[in-house]
Amino acid sequence: MSLLLMRGICKAFNGVPVLKNTALTVERGVVHALLGENGAGKSTLMNILTGTIPADAGEVIFDGQKLDRPTIRQTEELGIAFVHQELNLFNDLKVFENMFMCKELEGALWHLKKKEMIARSRELFDRLQVNIDPQAYVHELKTGDRQLLEISKALLFKAKLLILDEPTTALNNEEIEHLFDIVKGLKADGLSFIFISHKMPEIFSYCDNYTVFRNGEYIAEGRIADTNPEEVTKLMVGRSGAAQSFYEPRETGDTVLALDKYSGEGFHDVDLEVKRGQVVGLTGLEGCGSSELMQCLFGLSASTGGSATVNGKVLPPASVHAAMRAGIGLLAANRKENSVIPDMDILENMYLAEHTLSAGKFHIRKGEELKKYFHYKELLNLKAASPALPVVSLSGGNQQKVFIARWLNTNASVLLFDNPTQGIDVGAKAEIYKLILKLAAQGKTVLVNTLEIPELQKVADFCLVFYNGGVIKVLPHQEIEEHRIMMYSTNSAGE
Amino acid sequence: MNNQSSGALLSRLWHSYSYIFVFVIIFCVYALSSNGLTLNAAMNILRHSAVIGIIALGMGMVCITAEIDLSVGSMLALVSGLSVVVFNVTDSILLTFLFAVGFGCLCGLLNGVLVGIVKMPSFIVTLATMLIFRSFAQYICQHIDKSLAGGGSSVYRMISKLDMFQPMFSFGNSKFLSLPIVGIMLVLLTALFVYILESTKFGKKVYAVGSSYKGAFMAGINVSLMKTMVFVITGGLVGVASFFWIAMNASSDPATTGSSYEMYAIAAVVLGGISMAGGRGRCLGILFGALSYTVIDKIIIALKMDSLINDAVKGIILIVVILIQVAGPQIRERMRVMRARAQAQHGS
Repeated sequence: MSLLLMRGICKAFNGVPVLKNTALTVERGVVHALLGENGAGKSTLMNILTGTIPADAGEVIFDGQKLDRPTIRQTEELGIAFVHQELNLFNDLKVFENMFMCKELEGALWHLKKKEMIARSRELFDRLQVNIDPQAYVHELKTGDRQLLEISKALLFKAKLLILDEPTTALNNEEIEHLFDIVKGLKADGLSFIFISHKMPEIFSYCDNYTVFRNGEYIAEGRIADTNPEEVTKLMVGRSGAAQSFYEPRETGDTVLALDKYSGEGFHDVDLEVKRGQVVGLTGLEGCGSSELMQCLFGLSASTGGSATVNGKVLPPASVHAAMRAGIGLLAANRKENSVIPDMDILENMYLAEHTLSAGKFHIRKGEELKKYFHYKELLNLKAASPALPVVSLSGGNQQKVFIARWLNTNASVLLFDNPTQGIDVGAKAEIYKLILKLAAQGKTVLVNTLEIPELQKVADFCLVFYNGGVIKVLPHQEIEEHRIMMYSTNSAGE
Repeated sequence: MNNQSSGALLSRLWHSYSYIFVFVIIFCVYALSSNGLTLNAAMNILRHSAVIGIIALGMGMVCITAEIDLSVGSMLALVSGLSVVVFNVTDSILLTFLFAVGFGCLCGLLNGVLVGIVKMPSFIVTLATMLIFRSFAQYICQHIDKSLAGGGSSVYRMISKLDMFQPMFSFGNSKFLSLPIVGIMLVLLTALFVYILESTKFGKKVYAVGSSYKGAFMAGINVSLMKTMVFVITGGLVGVASFFWIAMNASSDPATTGSSYEMYAIAAVVLGGISMAGGRGRCLGILFGALSYTVIDKIIIALKMDSLINDAVKGIILIVVILIQVAGPQIRERMRVMRARAQAQHGS
């Protein structure tokens, strides 16, 4: 008998169906990949499973027990644990307090048995070979450790099914491996996992079964061993567009951006010369300095040495406004926190940055702004019914296009894209790559920072590999290759 | 079918313009309770809303940036008191007005720098300045030359023998085409702030800062400056309100002028549909929010009720309106899920 059976699940939001008669079966002791583009209905289905939202129709049988409109508390007690993408931890509390949140061990007169809770946390961490101090504050932990803490928290109370929602986005390769070592061990103990991810290599190295969703519908399921990435991608997007290449060499112009021994917090002595129309990839492990370099160029932190020259002018230090005047635009990582103005509509989100440059002209000319909007909508192939819709109503990929338009609108000549495809589905990713190349062909200079090497293979003219704050290797387009970059970024190349 | 779509239209209208519905309902109650509503009485509503309405405009803008200004009531006492002194010394309407606005801006700047640039929590900063401003207003009144304060012992009084006293007082109390001049000013100022917040780059940045501080910063907005500016503008508006106050009353009592006004202003702002969490709400609502509160006063007078029950009525209305706004969508969603379940069961 399977651990989990979901059948005929339907759910509609405001009359729009997001799940149409979907099904999911998870066996005991497996890692089950739940695949689909963003908006395919994966999160909705998981929220129904955990009791966060009620289903309109359908039945859920977990561990031989039928669940009828369960509460979150009930599903937790039955052994379903959701490890969220946005970590649900209390940063100002200690690790063990988070572990036992709402399930504290109490003694006489409701006093908390802190020593016992700490001991039990430590015991669990030891068993999992996780190196976390139960008495540390959560905000002191690294992102990777926080992810492991979330998982440990679920295990403390005998979870039978763990839902991992994109657990690896914020982790570096070493941490990912550690995570899956733990998963493997738990699998042997009979626990099951539902694994939601967009990263094909992980899915194919660590998962046993898969179910594919598309547009709220169940498409297929099977064993990972019987399929391959191309086939799965085809099922997910409904068309095969994964392995195609759009890269072609372009004419390049004068030098636009020149760095000379440029240093700042987290990176040092970066030399770089980028010409008009070039696409440069930056990569390396988490915390290697490439993202910090972008932030420093955009004026978010002060440079500590060297110089940066943009369009022949030396960049003034630590001023976002000056960086924007010089022609730099930063499409920041972590879109939800850094880019989205949630209460504003699409048009307002687009023109906001440009208005800080033209603040002297007080009045907003709606007609002209709309003209620009439709120009960028066409250029970027933005799918939005109206510029007056809230920006949060768009999918991740379309939101990202609004923010690319934001920086095109400021007439930036150097575009810094920090992890531009974070949380974007496969189809929209390919569109973003095409856009980067299109912008380059139109004379923009684009720097792309990403941990996903296949992205760089598609777009970058050359690629800087960072290790420990410095550039360890520069690879031309034809030499960009996953294995080689891994060698350099972990500093294990024996040259 | 038609019924349903008109219902949907009504619920949408309620959602965007609840403040107008609230005002109309309260106004109807007033019209019924005061048997024989005169034009004059209706116009008086506008007149009595002027001071609180102007202060609420500033408060609204501060709330849109997700901050709060508790000092506006005390600031009104201090600025209006000192403006009386300036009037008594200079006998000039223009100089009094400029002083009121300038000094108001200065008080606002103190709040603004501490909140926007030093990044202290606005609740604490303005709580402190609230105490400071009120205390100064009372202390100065006791300790300056009595002739400057118009001879009163604990009240700032404009000297009625001065040449400009009559023009000043009539500005505060006369009418233009049966509309009170201060009321016209309130409407004009509201129109100005509706324009600033909805159609200018400055206004959109105010919303952006309140909606997402980090996002606004990453879009190149000088967030510290924006927050400071909003407090300075609020101070300036309190200055204008102070000027109106002394023009209407010819005096200012530092102990009672503007007391609890910060709470009335916040209530008007919330009733006007502005989110205290920042980033959402429209300026026009503030005008109606302030008007609604003045009408409640009038109803209580018309019904010859004890005026001490006044704040209880205001409080209850505030809770009811917000309850409808918050609970309405939740109830509708629950009913929709129940309907969908019933349908699904029917189908199977």
